[in-house]
Amino acid sequence: MVSLATNLSLQEIVLTAVDPDRELAERFQQGERGAFDQIVKRHQKGVYRIIRRYVRSDADAADVSQQVFVRAFKGLGTFRGAASVRSWLYRIGINCALSWIRDHKREQPAELDEDALSEPHASPGRIADGEQSVRLRAAIAKLPPKQKMVLELRVFDDLSFKEVSELADCTENTAKVNFHYAVKRLRELLGDEA
Amino acid sequence: MSERDPPSATLRVAAPSGEAGPCDPDELLAAYVDGVGELTTGERKIVEARLADNPAWRDDADATRALLGQLRDLPDEGAEPDWSAMERAIRDEVGPTTPRPWWRGWRWLVPIGALAMAGAVLVLVLRTPETTPSVGETNPARRDAGVPVAPSVGPDEPTTMPLWLDGSAVEVELQAADLLDDGAPSPGDEAELGLLPTDDLAWVDDLGDDDIVAAEAWLARKKT
Repeated sequence: MVSLATNLSLQEIVLTAVDPDRELAERFQQGERGAFDQIVKRHQKGVYRIIRRYVRSDADAADVSQQVFVRAFKGLGTFRGAASVRSWLYRIGINCALSWIRDHKREQPAELDEDALSEPHASPGRIADGEQSVRLRAAIAKLPPKQKMVLELRVFDDLSFKEVSELADCTENTAKVNFHYAVKRLRELLGDEA
Repeated sequence: MSERDPPSATLRVAAPSGEAGPCDPDELLAAYVDGVGELTTGERKIVEARLADNPAWRDDADATRALLGQLRDLPDEGAEPDWSAMERAIRDEVGPTTPRPWWRGWRWLVPIGALAMAGAVLVLVLRTPETTPSVGETNPARRDAGVPVAPSVGPDEPTTMPLWLDGSAVEVELQAADLLDDGAPSPGDEAELGLLPTDDLAWVDDLGDDDIVAAEAWLARKKT
């Protein structure tokens, strides 16, 4: 029991040493308001990027990102550090985005057209992305939700498999397996040319 | 399609400790290509052994690497917002003070303290012994001082007694009943004195409403 407690405290020390967010969270919990501003600066782009994948409007995604940080401000005092601050913020972001989608279901533009896989120029607005980009995004949109989430968090948000597993609510091993099948499925959808 | 396809290979490795179930080494190829450092030593060795033996697997690994590179090169969706404006908006919305969790403040002590105080008072009230003398007792302090003390009625002592008069229940005050006994004549003298007998109360049942009203009026006069 003693060794377990010692291991935990050592782990916390190591985590604090390698994770500046944890130190910022602790400073905020001790009453340093400015620590939160630094957390916002460090993670607003990541939070916005995740939300933008769910919410198909820049302005709405910015509004939802703002809500995320307001909620984080209220909850950071009780943050216990079981997950990283980043994955905690991203979790709030995903929840807020899903909640926004529920509230604005009728206003959301339709998902990427499935025909985009075979007709890359179907949507003039996406021509700028390039043909291959359109094909890739269309293929990602066709993945099962869990595989899509794991792939996007891993590839676009540069999260570790541990962080991905925290956000996808699964084990680290399951995250790795889902990642494998997401890649495999994408290769099937895109053909060998990808 | 299910989110996790059925495994195709027969060789399986133990999952990292604390995780459910073993996984197929095939299923670790993408994780190996994308983050070899995040695999356990056992997983890494098995994947590397498979790669060394199987050229098709090496092709798969190369194709996976290429695809992941393409995905990472994709431009972000949408335009970037004004980050400074967003920071300002967040700062304005949350305000200048840092919220404290409820257990770190003192305000929760107020209701808890009030409840504790109320509980303590309740316990004191319930545990206090009865100090009011019962009927027939005298106040010891006044008795010692030689002051005669009238017997008092305790809070739980009944002050009335039910009587069944003329087919209906009537509550008669005990003090009024005492008045009947005060100086009560001896049996046999009632007729001589013009009083109703007290040793046999069967006559009470024969009283009419007017008699009872008259008796109550008399009792009231007697009390005053």
